[in-house]
Amino acid sequence: MIAKIICYALNGLDGIPVEVETDVNKGVPSYEMVGLPDTAVKESKERVRSALKNSGMLFPMNKITVNFAPADLKKQGASFDLAIAVSLLKASEQLVGADVSDTVFLGELALNGDLRPVNGLLPILISAKGHGFRKFVVPADNAREASFLGGAEIYPAVSLSEVVKHLTGLHRLNPLETTEFVAGARGESGADLKFVKGQPMARRAVEIAVAGGHNLLMVGPPGTGKTMIARCLPTIMPDLSFEEALEITKIHSVAGTLGEDGIVTVRPFRTPHHTATTVSMCGGGNRVVHPGEISLAHGGVLFLDELPEYKRSTLEALRQPLEDGKITVSRAGGTFTYPSRFMLCASMNPCPCGNYGSANLTCTCTPSEIRNYRKKVSGPLLDRIDLQVEVDNMSYDELTSSDREESSEAVKARVNEARDIQRARFANAEIVTNAEMGEREITVYCKLDREGDDILRAAFEKMHLSARARARIVKVARTIADLDGSEGILPKHVFEAVSYRIFDKLG
Amino acid sequence: MSYTAEERALIWLAACSELDGRDRIKLLSAVKNPVSLFEEAEKILPCVIKEAPKRLYNSNRAKREAQLGDFLRELDDKGYFAVTLRSADYPARLKSIPDAPPVLYGRGRRELLKEQAFCIVGSRVTPPWAAEQAKRIAGELARQFVIVTGFAEGGDRAAIDGALPSGNLICVLPHGLDGCYPAAHASLKKRVAEAGLLLSEYPPEERVRQYSFHERNRILAGMGAGALVVSAGERSGTAITARFASEFSREVFAFPYNVGSRQGVGCNELIKKGALLVTDAQDILCVYGYEKKEESEVLLSDEENRCIAALRDAGELHVSQIAERAGIQIFEAAAVMSSLEMKGLAVKAGGNRYTAL
Repeated sequence: MIAKIICYALNGLDGIPVEVETDVNKGVPSYEMVGLPDTAVKESKERVRSALKNSGMLFPMNKITVNFAPADLKKQGASFDLAIAVSLLKASEQLVGADVSDTVFLGELALNGDLRPVNGLLPILISAKGHGFRKFVVPADNAREASFLGGAEIYPAVSLSEVVKHLTGLHRLNPLETTEFVAGARGESGADLKFVKGQPMARRAVEIAVAGGHNLLMVGPPGTGKTMIARCLPTIMPDLSFEEALEITKIHSVAGTLGEDGIVTVRPFRTPHHTATTVSMCGGGNRVVHPGEISLAHGGVLFLDELPEYKRSTLEALRQPLEDGKITVSRAGGTFTYPSRFMLCASMNPCPCGNYGSANLTCTCTPSEIRNYRKKVSGPLLDRIDLQVEVDNMSYDELTSSDREESSEAVKARVNEARDIQRARFANAEIVTNAEMGEREITVYCKLDREGDDILRAAFEKMHLSARARARIVKVARTIADLDGSEGILPKHVFEAVSYRIFDKLG
Repeated sequence: MSYTAEERALIWLAACSELDGRDRIKLLSAVKNPVSLFEEAEKILPCVIKEAPKRLYNSNRAKREAQLGDFLRELDDKGYFAVTLRSADYPARLKSIPDAPPVLYGRGRRELLKEQAFCIVGSRVTPPWAAEQAKRIAGELARQFVIVTGFAEGGDRAAIDGALPSGNLICVLPHGLDGCYPAAHASLKKRVAEAGLLLSEYPPEERVRQYSFHERNRILAGMGAGALVVSAGERSGTAITARFASEFSREVFAFPYNVGSRQGVGCNELIKKGALLVTDAQDILCVYGYEKKEESEVLLSDEENRCIAALRDAGELHVSQIAERAGIQIFEAAAVMSSLEMKGLAVKAGGNRYTAL
């Protein structure tokens, strides 16, 4: 008898239906698998054999053939175990009367018959739901993640015997209840702007950056709180919507970095070390293409500490995803596209010794040393960083007596207001934030009055600004005006935007 | 370009890499006319220098002619010219120093050599305010003088930036005209050659050497009617230029620095020894009997006035201090400061701090 069971394979962030067909025939006992299974799938033979035996089932001593369709797709991972086991049982007529035709089985088997969680469950469920499947049997350990799907019958099972009892009707499993999504439900990391002492300029820059979706570079001596400020970025970004959360969760589910919550509720904050390779940054791998750091930072912040220390090639690889908001990785195993719309936040020292511009320490670097150090960050990359701000190397307390440390909550409120203005402005466009504006939008939405235009012209002459910097300045000025609640861009907004181009002035 | 026999002889002598500067001076003082040196080198050389290099013994006149011909053609091809001690336009002041270079190679506007020159030098580590002031003063002095400076970053660069727009600029290089040190100034070199003048005492292909900075500094000091020291550390090459200048009895000027500021120790030391303290171009111009032109007032807004007043009171302030003293928000102060920076009234000192100009 032939049994057909539906299972899903992952292809990037999409699930692809795979039919597991099992034929049990009379003949010399054998156990064959066809249909491009990789090693992990082939090894499932032994897991399934032991799991069946240890769950009190019979492993048929016949000629067994398992086929995976479509045959041209490479099947990877251990998530087919449950489907193979169920199809074997069905084919060997141990599941009499059970209807398994429209159920999707997912899970890895332990030798004792227990079900182990699989990576990438949520993306599979979302795809399968789109394909019209409504019934799923999943490992109980994945239940939390699966419970956010909604609109489907999802049965979490602890072991193979539970699945069998459920299918034969001996003991029905309870379908999962849909969990309501709450943004920021997970406990905070503890980062909050109210703990950042001083740094008025950096605080302001961070606020503008988040409000307009701009990338940010912080320049300052070591140990001045650059990392601390960066960690606060997710706390002032707008809350995740359910759709955003699902998209981010898909990536993290595929990468296997999903926590116990089962869904990402706070914006990711990724800090790859500067030894990171291009592949780890952009995604890749030998057979399985894993999402890279830039995709894991999707919807959140990618923080590159000590920017000049990163390999040049790694940094250059960021340029295209920064523009497109997605990355396409081609490998022998296939071509995969992962979203990578992240906010880039980078930090660096002002010079090799770190004391340039310090009030009380003398910089011992020669101008050429400083120039060479800064040259490690290429112009085209700097060009994509709208805001460059200096972080002070002394505490604000030394400077003023009045404490004005604002909490992330207060800043977030202003950010949300600015975002609302932008949402209304770009209601008919595909973009969401000021930073995404192209030439066309800039001419429509960023009209400068004569005075503002004169300022920019003067800035170009006086500060040797690059021509490419103009659009960046105008976009930042637009965001500053939005934060100010101003309809038009006023001269003071342009002046402030110009003050965040410290690198252009270095000539 | 055509050269007189005397000039040709001097150019040949200067291009003889076997001889050092002292040998050349000895030779020149031994003969009345350098032409005889060129014509009868094999006879005169062994008498004057004890161990004259072999190649010079063996050379004959025809060979020397050929060498010199090749060399002059090369200069012409590259667009260089040579000015010798016997040339009409050899800088008059430079002639008076003890070891004036017999030949100077130049590229650019030769006529600048005849003008009254003023030397501005600074070390490579020059604080932003000093660079900005030097730039401004160089610009103002360039109306009366040709500015003579080196080609390094920092103070020299500020002087170049100030004087380049008017074109009254001579950069004296510590290497041949072919080279460029620092390499990052390659495009600047081109601009100076077009608008001003590049000068060097070394043959075009000569590389930069450690001692050549020292040698070059005597030309800087020698050419100028005076020298302004923008910044000088404790052991700075700039201090050497200042020493040369006072040896040549040129007026030395210096910016004052804070007590304890490492970038200005040399400047303060100079002032202690009698250098004139400079805070604006007028301080220099009046020494040479020039009147300063009146500048038009820059119109400032109320906020700008308050910020610049606060900054002038303190000299250097963090942007949050400016904001507090002017009674405005910090980010507003940042905007005002970049406006003031554009108007040339303040300069960013790094670390979100500003200095008044």
